[in-house]
Amino acid sequence: MADVPDMLVLKRDRDLEGRLNDIWVRRSLMTLIAAVPVIALFNVFGQRPDSTTLVSPEASLKIYAPSHLRGGLIFQARFHVTAREDIKDAYIVLGPGWAEGMTINTIEPSPVSEASNNGRISLELGHIPAGQSYILFTDFQVNPTNVAFGRRQTVWLTDGKTRLITYEREINVYP
Amino acid sequence: MDLVLRAIALFAFMYLLTRVMGRRELSTLEPFDLILLIVLGDSIQQGLTQDDYSVTGAVIAVGTIAVLQLIVSYSSFRFRWARSFLNGDPIVLIQDGEVIERNIKRERITREELAEQARGQQIASLGDVQWAVFEPSGAISFIPKK
Repeated sequence: MADVPDMLVLKRDRDLEGRLNDIWVRRSLMTLIAAVPVIALFNVFGQRPDSTTLVSPEASLKIYAPSHLRGGLIFQARFHVTAREDIKDAYIVLGPGWAEGMTINTIEPSPVSEASNNGRISLELGHIPAGQSYILFTDFQVNPTNVAFGRRQTVWLTDGKTRLITYEREINVYP
Repeated sequence: MDLVLRAIALFAFMYLLTRVMGRRELSTLEPFDLILLIVLGDSIQQGLTQDDYSVTGAVIAVGTIAVLQLIVSYSSFRFRWARSFLNGDPIVLIQDGEVIERNIKRERITREELAEQARGQQIASLGDVQWAVFEPSGAISFIPKK
């Protein structure tokens, strides 16, 4: 047999002694990497919005917003209030989780007033007559350093100080 | 701090990717590979610096990657086990003119591709090859028979 080139070890480099399982490690890791985009197709990493409707005798509230987000994403949350009875002074109150690590780009239509309600963001919508709807569009951007798993985003619909609907939701923000 | 962590995570991911994809994919640079490379760089950059347009941010990101690359390079120089893990080991594809089927299959190389590579080094027949070695860089070295 001709001289083996320098630094080649035949057992290791030709017979692959001790390296036979390397290929399976490589394939397993590649499968894991390939699994990420497949999982992403199922909206695990965001940002497709989901819709939830809550109904009370006085009103219904439909929330259309993503619950899985990533740093830097621009997204919209839509609050669709339908009055089943006359709501004299409707408020959408957002828990602090809505603004934590987020930039609020715009709220349309502009609420009658904005205030802090014991640390929550209170948006006054005003009078909504029975049978009428009010759609509040809020546009956000996730701050790049914002990371959250299971952060609470509570929404209250109130008439003055009377709570009509409470909705607890959670968001995940991936880095 | 976030920038450093992001740079470490992306460096590790890219390193892992290049290791598990196999050296064959990395050894050629066809026009499409070149486009992919640019797209890859752009995607990585957005995740790395995001909305940070500062010189400080760029220095932190580039500095972190440089340090990581130095660590990888030094580890591979200093430790044999790290060299195998980080760079891989060579694989003998031909010995005494005989193609080692198991090894070419493992690296997804066909006899035709092997012959093409040999022709590129002025070797007309694989039977004239004493040793062909698939190097960790992705290149195939041919040593002709004397």
